[in-house]
Amino acid sequence: MPPSIHPVDLIAALRQHNLTPAIVFLTSRRACDDAMQAFERDQVALPPARRRNIAATLQELATQYPSIAEHPLVPIVERIGVAAHHAGHLPSWKIAIEELMRQGLLDAVFATTTLAAGVDFPARTVVITQSSVRKTRDFTDLTNSEVQQLAGRAGRRGKDLVGFAVVTPSPYIDLGVITKGLTGQPEPIDSQFSISYSMALNLLKAHPLGQIQSILARSFAQFQLNRRAETLESKLDTLHVQMEPYGPRVCTDWITQWQSFEQARKRKSQRVHPKRQEPPELTSRLHFLTPGRVVGLTRGRGIVLRQYRSRGQKSPMVTVVREAGAVTECPASTVTQVFDRMFDVQEAPAYPWCAPHSLDELTGHLSELPVRLPVLPILVQPEPEEREVALTLTDDFPCPTCSSRPACQKDHATALKLRQDVQRHQKMIHALRTGLWHRFQSRTDVLQQFGYLTPTCQLTADGEWARLIRMDHSLLITELIRAEAFTGVEPHVLAAIMSSISHDNDRPGSFPRMSPGLSTVMWQVRRLAESLAPHEDPPLLRADVAALTERWVSDPNLTWLGLCRTTTMAEGDIYRLLARTLEYLSQLHTLKGTHRGLADTADKAIKNLRRGVLEELP
Amino acid sequence: MTTDELEKLLAVQPVSLLHQLGRGRIPRHFRLGKRRLIEALLRSTATNRAGLESDLLALMKDGDQQQIRPQAQPRTEPASPRRQSVSGKPEPAEPATDLKAFLEGIGVPEPSPFVPDPWQEEALAHLAETDVIVSVPTGSGKTYVAVEATRRAIDAERTVIYTSPLKALSNTKFTEFSKLFGADRVGILTGDRRDNTHAPLLIMTTEILRNLLYDAAGGEIDVRLDTLGLVIMDESQYLADPERGVVWEETIIFCPTQARLLLLSASIGNPQDIAAWLTSIRPTPCHLVRHNRRTVPLRAGYLHPSGKLAPLFRSVGIPHGHASLHQESKRLFSQYEAETLQPRSR
Repeated sequence: MPPSIHPVDLIAALRQHNLTPAIVFLTSRRACDDAMQAFERDQVALPPARRRNIAATLQELATQYPSIAEHPLVPIVERIGVAAHHAGHLPSWKIAIEELMRQGLLDAVFATTTLAAGVDFPARTVVITQSSVRKTRDFTDLTNSEVQQLAGRAGRRGKDLVGFAVVTPSPYIDLGVITKGLTGQPEPIDSQFSISYSMALNLLKAHPLGQIQSILARSFAQFQLNRRAETLESKLDTLHVQMEPYGPRVCTDWITQWQSFEQARKRKSQRVHPKRQEPPELTSRLHFLTPGRVVGLTRGRGIVLRQYRSRGQKSPMVTVVREAGAVTECPASTVTQVFDRMFDVQEAPAYPWCAPHSLDELTGHLSELPVRLPVLPILVQPEPEEREVALTLTDDFPCPTCSSRPACQKDHATALKLRQDVQRHQKMIHALRTGLWHRFQSRTDVLQQFGYLTPTCQLTADGEWARLIRMDHSLLITELIRAEAFTGVEPHVLAAIMSSISHDNDRPGSFPRMSPGLSTVMWQVRRLAESLAPHEDPPLLRADVAALTERWVSDPNLTWLGLCRTTTMAEGDIYRLLARTLEYLSQLHTLKGTHRGLADTADKAIKNLRRGVLEELP
Repeated sequence: MTTDELEKLLAVQPVSLLHQLGRGRIPRHFRLGKRRLIEALLRSTATNRAGLESDLLALMKDGDQQQIRPQAQPRTEPASPRRQSVSGKPEPAEPATDLKAFLEGIGVPEPSPFVPDPWQEEALAHLAETDVIVSVPTGSGKTYVAVEATRRAIDAERTVIYTSPLKALSNTKFTEFSKLFGADRVGILTGDRRDNTHAPLLIMTTEILRNLLYDAAGGEIDVRLDTLGLVIMDESQYLADPERGVVWEETIIFCPTQARLLLLSASIGNPQDIAAWLTSIRPTPCHLVRHNRRTVPLRAGYLHPSGKLAPLFRSVGIPHGHASLHQESKRLFSQYEAETLQPRSR
């Protein structure tokens, strides 16, 4: 069993049940073209009468759109009575197919899902072979709205009593998605509001800064944000109700009071805990065990050379010089007496912790000391007790002795959580209400930085003309104009640059060569686009599409077919590229008041560009 | 029991029983369909068939005791796909549609004088006083509302602007409206071309109208915005387009208050939200016309790669909400899945 039905069999089966004409939705342009070729290989042929009808209709259309007459697919469509319809075709050809379909002259059209949007193009039957579509990078499931858009093409008003949506399996199908799409509700739509630089400029041109916030508030985006804010506000109300039993007590803000009390208590207990277990006598004595002090030890006397703490225990230690110049280390607790006598010591950072001559001197002093020496009276400070901690807390906080202490202790956790929820909700509501305004402000900040706006948000001279550039990547284009990148360029270079800025599709194409003049400007554009990247997403700036446009504009003798032969891009894509370039150029043309030369160049480029196929449609 | 016998026996069991068997044997068994569940069961217990068999027999005995319906007969027979789908649940009272009923009524309707639908009249009546949003399925006659509203506005000497999202669509409408109203009364504005810009009916893409409104706000009017009486925005579900949706919003925000707005949209989930939004920013409350009924009824079918056609749902038309598939298409599809998945799993 083949993974999916052969297109010829598919149409035969539909015809057998009287279900033609049909639109068959396939996954790719390639699949549509392949399906058509399958018909050609199978040498399907229409009866002569129908062929003549098709030919007559096409001829009639060719008077309005000359490109139809010489289209290479004409004989095939006439012979087999089916056609492919996708974005790779020229608009005029698509119009021809639509007209043939409208008159019921075709059995089937193989189309990609892009057809579903916008074109008035019905049939008796719609065949769905896929449940997912390619979006930017990967495949995503069709939404309910999309399935209904596809199925909605079935059944022509006034020509059919019923319409059919026929599902046929292929490796790309999940029946669940399609049945859900057919029977389910269409998805709600969401605002996609975004603030561009040109929008900010145009708003500020027409309205004073003070009114902007109220204008933004009228957007559907803000409407939907307000909706969300309202649900949050109703939640906030219930939170406020829940907060009621935890209102003011002995102190008005008892939650904060209790929280800081708790924190203070925890901090105190933390400070007390790792305290060293040193007796107070020792602690008070440590201040006096300075180098040069004469102390009494359990055996004999000595002079302190240094005081330090032992490595592991961090217990206080002293280094003393004793009789006969012995330098010993001993715990400070072995010091029994501190005498009221000091000698000068020249300290040193390493053993023996003083200068050698100083050590000799000290040894001398030590042997010469009298037997009795006055003892230094040392005041022993009593240790600060836990009691004292409690006392300090009572000084700072009324809580320990407060009458509502048990209640506060009990409710604090719940009340604190509620209060945090309230604050979180308030913050979110604030963000929802002012988010758009902040986005607008970040745009105006950039515009001020680049000098399109004065610090008071008035349009500068540059801003006045920059607001007329209302397309994607407007910042890049206006900055290019200000950098005089386009001064004195040829019309075809200007058109090429515009087309590479406008083209945002990464469908691969082949690479015709650029002229050296264009590549110099291109290099400049790329550099500028990169430097603007923090403020505006850089366009793809593809060299191949630029070269294609350059060729079309620079060589007026180049035919459409000749142009298509130089690239692998589909002619529908080339057409769209050039049509978009025309739009960009005509926006540049609106700058004729301030940039005479540029507008003239753009005008010349437009005149060269609009010829042949591009002239056909208004 | 041989593997083959076991497979056949498993095939006639209800899926719930197979899931019970799968518990602990196959990770994520609930993700698998029946066919693949059986395969996975057989594969995972290849070394310990006895355990699976005893569990299966025990579960089958439990099942027999719970429901009086004896299952002895199907068990002895080779698995037939039809029984497989029927044996599961009791039949719903309403019999499923058959292919004949499904295909009945194909044909061309008798040419009859055009009578506008009540919703079309409703939309037009309300448009005299307020803004209107029309959200109806594709192909149910939104264009009639647009044409009739245009005619009335032109008769009242007002300018009408008709916007569409695509240039191609603008061109189609330009041709269509030129035939209806006469070429001198229809103008078109696109990114690079302006024809007959002082005609009472102007067709343009939404971007162009947005630019016009900005220019008008900036004090440079070049189209008759002061006499503007009606703005028709076709395909207004583009409001949700990730790149271009913002243009629709800008246009609606800056649309002059003296002009009526007529938003035509395919079926969307929340037209009432858009109506509420318009009511909140426009001088008059917005009226919403919405329905899901198609002018030409739609049926869904399933075409098997063998060329066999079956209704997709149990009912003739497309049901709303919960869908129960027609047993024939269900069987064909599971057969398709089984056949296409086989080479991959073995």
